[in-house]
This record gives sequence, C-alpha cells and structure tokens, in this order.
Amino acid sequence: MPPRCSIRSASAPTAPTNSKDRLFEEWNAKRQWAAFAAIACLSPAAHAFNVFACEPEWGSLVHELAPDKITIDVATTAMQDVHVIEARPSLIAKVRRADLVVCSGADLEVGWLPQLIRQAGNPKVASGPGYFLAADQVTTLEKVALLDRAAGDVHPQGNPHIQLDPYRVLAIAKALDARLAQLDAANAAVYQQKLADFTTRWQAAIKTWEAKAAALKGRKVVVHHSSWVYLTQWLGIEQIGALEPKPGVPPTSAHLASLIDVTRNQHALAIIRAAYQDPKPADWLAERTGVPALTLPYTVGGDAQAQDLFGLFDSTIDKLLGAIK
Amino acid sequence: MNLEGLDPTILGPACIAGVLVLSTHVPLGQQVLARGIIFIDLAIAQIAALGVLVAMYFGIDEHGASVQFAAAAAALLGAALLTWTERRWPDQQEPLIGTLFVLAATGALLLLANNPHGGEHLKELLIGQILWVSLGQLIPVAILSAVLLTLMVLLRARLSGLIFYGVFALAITASVQLVGVYLVFASLIMPALATIGLSGRKRTIVAYTVGVLGYVIGLALSAVLDLPSGALIVWTLAGCGIAARLVFASEARPEPALEPATDSLHRT
Repeated sequence: MPPRCSIRSASAPTAPTNSKDRLFEEWNAKRQWAAFAAIACLSPAAHAFNVFACEPEWGSLVHELAPDKITIDVATTAMQDVHVIEARPSLIAKVRRADLVVCSGADLEVGWLPQLIRQAGNPKVASGPGYFLAADQVTTLEKVALLDRAAGDVHPQGNPHIQLDPYRVLAIAKALDARLAQLDAANAAVYQQKLADFTTRWQAAIKTWEAKAAALKGRKVVVHHSSWVYLTQWLGIEQIGALEPKPGVPPTSAHLASLIDVTRNQHALAIIRAAYQDPKPADWLAERTGVPALTLPYTVGGDAQAQDLFGLFDSTIDKLLGAIK
Repeated sequence: MNLEGLDPTILGPACIAGVLVLSTHVPLGQQVLARGIIFIDLAIAQIAALGVLVAMYFGIDEHGASVQFAAAAAALLGAALLTWTERRWPDQQEPLIGTLFVLAATGALLLLANNPHGGEHLKELLIGQILWVSLGQLIPVAILSAVLLTLMVLLRARLSGLIFYGVFALAITASVQLVGVYLVFASLIMPALATIGLSGRKRTIVAYTVGVLGYVIGLALSAVLDLPSGALIVWTLAGCGIAARLVFASEARPEPALEPATDSLHRT
C-alpha cells in the first residue's frame, strides 16, 4: 500500500475535549480505517468530510464552523464574476467527492451549478441535506412577485448578494452549523462549540462595526451592479443610482447623463464597485463628477485585508470611511 | 498537478462531443478553406442565436425543442442568403460574410437592450461549455451528424451552393451549443489548415488524427493543470496541427497551396 494512504488515514484525530469524545474519535477512526481498507486507496479522500463552496464567503464560514481536518473546496475567487464561470474538470471531481455543497442560491449560480451537479452525479449533494443554499435560510430583499423581463436581470427569489449583512451571515451560520452537525454527526460537539465561539466573536465585531460606521448613516452612494443592497440597508446608506440601469443591462447614454446629474447634485460619497468588476464605468463617472470611485472587496479575498469574513467587513467599512473627507 | 480530474466519467462525454463535432467539421473545414470563407462559422452561429432571440421576442417558449427549431431555421435562412450572395457577387463573398456576422451580433445586442435574460440564452447558444455536455444531449447531435455525413459522402461531387451552406448551417448550429464558438472555429479550420498540402484519403485521415489528438490531449491537460477545457483544447489543436505540418512537410511541398473547391472532398 502506498505510504500516502496510511498518512491520510492517520490524520483524523483533533484534540478531543473529554474521554467520551476520545472513545468516539477512536471508534470513528477504526471505522474509517475499515472503510478505507475496503476500498484500497482508490479514493484517497473518501473517509474525510468534504465541503464544496461556490463562493469564498461560504468557504470562509465553513472554515469558522468546522474542525480543521475537513476539506473545503471553493469554486470561485473574489476576482471572478460568480454569475458565469469556466468549466474545469477539477470542479466536477470536487463536487463528486463532496458531502455538502454550500452556495448562495437565489439563482446566483443558475448558469453553472445545475450542470456541475448533474455532471458530477453525486446523489448526496444533488438535493436534500447535502445541498445547502444560503439564500434559503434568510429573507431576501428585492423579491419580485411577478417576474417581468423589462425589469432587468432580477432574480425571482430576491437579490442573492446576501453576504454583506452580518445579521444574515449569523443566521446562515446557525443553519449551516446545524447542517454540518447533522451530516458529520461524529463531530457534532465540535460544530456546536465552534458555533458558540463564532457567535460570540461575530456579535462583538458587529458592535464594533456599527459604532465605526455610524458616520456613514444617511450618506449616498452610486453602485455598479445591484450587489450592495444588504450592506447599504444595514448601515443606513442610501443608494441613489446604479451604472447598470437595470441589473445586468449595460448603460445607455441617456441613463449615464441622468446619472451624472444625480451623482453631482446629491453629493454622493462614492461610486462603489466590486473587486472583480471592470473599473472603467465607475472611473468614467468619477472623472465626470469628481466623486471618488471605490473598489470594495465584496467577498473574502477581494483585497489584502479581507482574508476572512471578519477582515471582509473591517476592510469594507474602513474603505467607505476613508471616502469621507 | 491535479490528477483527480483525470476521470473517464468526467472527460468521456466531452471526448465523445469532440469526436462528433470533428466528424462533420473536418470535411466541412476543407471546403471552407478552399472557398476562402474562414469566418462563415462565426456568422452562421450568430445568425442562429439571433433567430432564437427573434423567436423569443415573438413570445415562443425559451426552453425545449422550439428554440432549436428557431436556431436551425435562422441558420438555414442565413445559408440561403449566403448562397444567393455567392452567386450574385462571387468575389465579395468573404467581406459579405463578415458584414453579416457583425450585423447579426449587433442585432442581438439591440434586441437585448431591455432583455438581459435573453442574454443568458445568447451566451448558452454561443459559449457552449464542452465539460457540461451530457450523454442525453449527444444523441440528437449524433443522429444529425450521421445524416449530414451521409449527405456529404453521397453528394460529394455536387456539394456546392445551397446544399453546402445548408449542411454547414445545421452542423454549426448543433456544435456551437455543445462546445462553443472558439472550439467550433478551431475544429473547422485547424485540421484543414494543418493538412493543406495533402490530398485525398490521406488528408482526411491525418486531419481527423490531428483533431482527435488535439481534443484528447487538451482534455487530459486541462484536468491535470486545472485550466478551462475549451480554451486549452484550442491550443492543443494548434499544437497538433503544427506537429502534423512538420511531419508531412516533405510531402506537402510540391502541392499547390490551395486546391479547387470541388476537389477537396475527392477521395482517390
């Protein structure tokens, strides 16, 4: 048997908190070893718990909630537009070995996730508990009762860019933690303890962020795409315009002319775009109005400071505050 | 390095899709090259996409078979138009094809000005992704390819005018949705270009070999290097084409650069 196999099978134990846990851990390790020997190293990761996250923010959240030994594969980076991604064989392989798929939902990944799951043919994550959509755990904004083409690229299940409201993130964390504990029952106690720890730190961080961001209340911003409603609603910022006249529709000259007036006359604080978006439209508007264009990380990995969910909110608020002269 | 993607059940359907696309595109590509109308595939694909958008504009269901009929009907109309322009202005066919391409592409943008959901369908029609291909999707394409190949073999001496453009339109409409515009262009032009000095059965065999090797190596490399499959296959097809040119360089030299159109499918 190749040495790689025995190394992987021995990697299971974390520091157990009491003897009951340790017994369980040992029994679990034996059981895993038996299952492992049975399939004779055909699939080196089969015994571990594998999570496939569509976006970095959910990968980061799983990382906060789960023991270190689980594998987390993240399909996209902060520099990609998650509405569209290029197909790579490794994505199918990762979904195939996943025990849980965690995505934003509300049709954000509708262009590729259904094909990816169909192609992977993994019944564990095709539906049921192995398929976790963050947007299903909270109420979404901008939900439309009647889908009208004329309204632009609106998602009938509401705006899917939910990760920039810390209260929704907390609600999603609770639901996700319950799901992880259900699927990876051997580590249920670890998940419970990790959630308690995360909740304490997160609630303290929310207090800090809200105190810092008080100066932003009532300020006005222009956005590139309608991906900031949860942030602006949380901080009491007013969105006075968008470069895209309707979500996903490129601007016309008449729209841009009125946007210049609105941006100037209403004294917008900044023109906001995500790290992955084309800088040209926001720069164009900034040049004509004197209002600064501001690149916000939008998700984990979007800038040097946003290395986890805490850093994401720290960086977003710092950058918005930096625009106040 | 990433060996877990090297799974035949992941790469298999993509490989079959590649072979099906090559089956019709290798002989068609030789015709396209001989006629000097390189960008006709882009024009036909755009016209097919435009047809779908027009059909949606008039309220047809955006899913299911009706979309395919709209795409095929538009592509055939475009083919008929190109047949007519070829007869009317034979020496202006290439610039007319280019003009038709930009008109169809920008026509789609104008139709989509207020309809971003149509944009998703436009993308689906133009940027098929080879890895998302399912076996169920391949069955109708296999039947269509068999019919078109039979037609091409039976009519090889008379594969001109309306029949050529019609066969071409149907083949492109099907393949673009499977593998996307870039791969369709590469499958059409590169094997034909690589074998331009050869002729007859030998040319056909070498061209198919270049195509199949390009797809297989490209798919395997995209798994190992964790890169997008479609884009990488375009590069491996080019690599295999250059290799074929080098291997057969001595045989190719005495031949004329371009053969007449009617000879390109002629087998010895």
